[in-house]
Amino acid sequence: MVLDTANIEAFALGCAILSAGGGGDPGIGLVMARHAIAESGPVEIIDPDALDPEALIMPCGLIGSPTVAQERVWSGEEGAQLVAAVEGSTHSPVSALMCYEIAGVNGLLPVMWASRQGKPLLDADGMGRAFPEMQQQAMHIAGIAASPVLLTDGRGNVIVVNAAGNRDAERLVRSCAATFGGTCAGALYTMTARSAAKAAIRGSVSKALRIGQMMTKRRSGWPEALADETAGRVLIKGRVTEIERRTGAGFSRGHAVVDGTGACSGRRLRLELQNEVLVALEDGEVLVTVPDIIAMLTLADGHPVGTERLRHGQRVGVVALPGPDVWRTEEGLQVVGPRSFGYDMDYVRGVTGADH
Amino acid sequence: MPTTEELRLGVDVGGTNTDAVVVDSAGMLVAKVKIPTTDDLCGDVEQGIARLLEDPAVDPMRVRCATLGARRATNAIRTASGLRRVAVLRIGAPLTFAIPPLVAWPPELRSAVHAGSATVAGGCEFDGEPLAALDEAGIVAFASAVGSGAAAVAITSVFSLVNPADELRAAEIMRRKLGDVPVSMSHEIGVMGLVERENATVLNAALSGVAAEVGRSFQTAVERTGLEAECYITQNDGTLMALEYSLRFPMLTIGSGPANGMRGGAHSSGVTDAIVADIGGATTAVGRLVNGFPWESLPPNSIGGVDTNFRLPDVLSIPVGGGSVVLGAAEQWANGRMNVGNSLVTEALCFGGPTPTITDAAVAAGRATTGTCPVPAKWHAGLAQHLELWDGLLAEAVDRVRLGADDLPLIVVGGGGDIAPDSFPGVREVIRPPHFEVANALGAAIAPVSGHAERICASRPDRLRAAVDEVSTEAVGRAIQAGADPAHVRVVDVEEIPLTYLRDPAVRIRARAVGPPVTFTPKSSGSAERARRHLA
Repeated sequence: MVLDTANIEAFALGCAILSAGGGGDPGIGLVMARHAIAESGPVEIIDPDALDPEALIMPCGLIGSPTVAQERVWSGEEGAQLVAAVEGSTHSPVSALMCYEIAGVNGLLPVMWASRQGKPLLDADGMGRAFPEMQQQAMHIAGIAASPVLLTDGRGNVIVVNAAGNRDAERLVRSCAATFGGTCAGALYTMTARSAAKAAIRGSVSKALRIGQMMTKRRSGWPEALADETAGRVLIKGRVTEIERRTGAGFSRGHAVVDGTGACSGRRLRLELQNEVLVALEDGEVLVTVPDIIAMLTLADGHPVGTERLRHGQRVGVVALPGPDVWRTEEGLQVVGPRSFGYDMDYVRGVTGADH
Repeated sequence: MPTTEELRLGVDVGGTNTDAVVVDSAGMLVAKVKIPTTDDLCGDVEQGIARLLEDPAVDPMRVRCATLGARRATNAIRTASGLRRVAVLRIGAPLTFAIPPLVAWPPELRSAVHAGSATVAGGCEFDGEPLAALDEAGIVAFASAVGSGAAAVAITSVFSLVNPADELRAAEIMRRKLGDVPVSMSHEIGVMGLVERENATVLNAALSGVAAEVGRSFQTAVERTGLEAECYITQNDGTLMALEYSLRFPMLTIGSGPANGMRGGAHSSGVTDAIVADIGGATTAVGRLVNGFPWESLPPNSIGGVDTNFRLPDVLSIPVGGGSVVLGAAEQWANGRMNVGNSLVTEALCFGGPTPTITDAAVAAGRATTGTCPVPAKWHAGLAQHLELWDGLLAEAVDRVRLGADDLPLIVVGGGGDIAPDSFPGVREVIRPPHFEVANALGAAIAPVSGHAERICASRPDRLRAAVDEVSTEAVGRAIQAGADPAHVRVVDVEEIPLTYLRDPAVRIRARAVGPPVTFTPKSSGSAERARRHLA
């Protein structure tokens, strides 16, 4: 399987859907990935089992503010700089790149870098969706160290962070990103293909592509089609009647209300938002929570809607997709369950299907 | 009746009709006309003015200010025609190479506009630290390479909203090398987001020829009718800019039609907070008025398939107007664009014509009294079905534009205003203000002049007050450049918007200054003369 100019747009759509409304605008990532592929060729998508077990995998992506990255546009050389830094610190060659986060712009930046480096991209990621923090990684659950974390600003400056633990790494790396002007490229949780086969969330790239291709082919009924494809379920179809956002230093919280229309008339869904949609409630009952993926799609054209772009009066379908299995374990829920986002509630599995 | 009182003239050239009005200094309507729009902008404007001057209430000697709203810029981009070729200079190397200039543009538009591009070293980081020293030799080399192949220049530097110095310096170099070509600088056009701001800046530069043609046509038309008036073009926030200024910022005319309609509706209804539906012959624009001015949309906005982030009114467009033909299945019709244009009075059933239109549906339903004869009964059932569909489209647009605000009135304006219902779910009341059918021209005639400025102040809270003052001063300066009377210009709005998701504080500062237009006096003929030279 390859990502090429013919399917990259569908892949980007899949990345946007898996982002649960967060993850940054994949639009600019799509432009970069498409341009890289046009210039440097398609990207081979490779399964961890197809690699030498000792082969080195470099998970990578944007660290910091996606908003700043809209202005401070990438050089495209960040991948080369990260590979050189990782190889310098591990003394072994990087065999494949990996998205540390499949969702949003981070699903696409590694595609650009892989194309420019002529390296394959692993069919896996660290989150299976979007999360705001670095230690919210399947590799963290598996006991793999994030360090050494390599960071570059795209113009030759590199910072190496050797943290005592993954939460320390998160704190130090945020600080470095701020020093780099708000945003930077990072490589973290570097590991062997053997480790990746066990620790990473497998099949993420092909899943995003499959979802995107299926959605692109449809001409109507996108919420239902997405639910069918992912063993998820349509929570409601209706119009956005309320949005509240509170922003402060480094966080954004709020909620939205969707009033059902058509067959959903008379129903009302409340969504709790941070960067992502994290909880869906109806009549005070929790229907589904993070780590399941709550996606919003416009009813008119099936486009995924980010939490920042959600607006009053918008006609949307809200679909719950099963979250990756690793997050539904006790250890996983400690890192990404509703309580880790400040909601006093247990994880509610809103869908019966398994993640696949 | 005072005879020395100044009059202002407003013309709005719509897709179907051209409206023209004269108002007195209190904004009261003195005369109005509506004529069909043709392809000849100058001719339409001239005819509109000439018809107004036939009205005995209009003393040509007292008309000191003429304003025009036209839709030429949008059409030029949509059809990739009449655009100038642009030398695209980006300042930000070694960054930004991941997205070359214009790479995501529709090929036809790109080839019509692109005269060559270069990315040179320079720009700054978020906190103002230089990314690299400005590569002046690189800029000189680029200017030589594009040479006479470029009729305009667009310059975009990384974080120019934090520090525009490199854009200003590069503009100076390009002007020195290329002579008197229009130069657009991104910090004057868009907001944060390099690629979208660059796109907007390139389109702005490409439109400089269209702006010159519009200005020339307007000035010629005004002169032919013998008026001695200062000429202004309407901006998309419902304000004006002088012709000379419009040559620098043609992008600011995009969306000015609906903005004029909203402002005109606000003026004649006396309501400053409302939803406005501007119903023309072929399309309906629905927007929201806040404090008497159009609400701005959240960027990015796609123009002709290009993502941009310049200022635009938040307007939803429905491809249905008073002249829309009612044919076929209702669902298909909603997306259809068939309309009788300005032949409603010969084509529509209610005028004895052969074609069922949405206006006929409104007449058959007893909503409108347009026309000269009854709509034949055999059409009624089908027409009613389409009228219901139209009401649904309008209701959805109104619902989306009100952004959750309850209890706002709906102001209906435009030549097709008759087809709107008299009451509406989700709005307090439906208002059809006096002269609603010429609200766009009225909005142009009563508009003030404005200037905007915007900066980002990052990581330096101690500099914030000084930065706010600088931005306010710049807005005043730009309002005066745009033709505001320096004696009466004032800052009406300063916004300080904290940027999110950052550890270090950063504030986006926006200021708007507004003043009445400088009107024609024998002394001010200097500026008219300058504009004439510019347009020649």
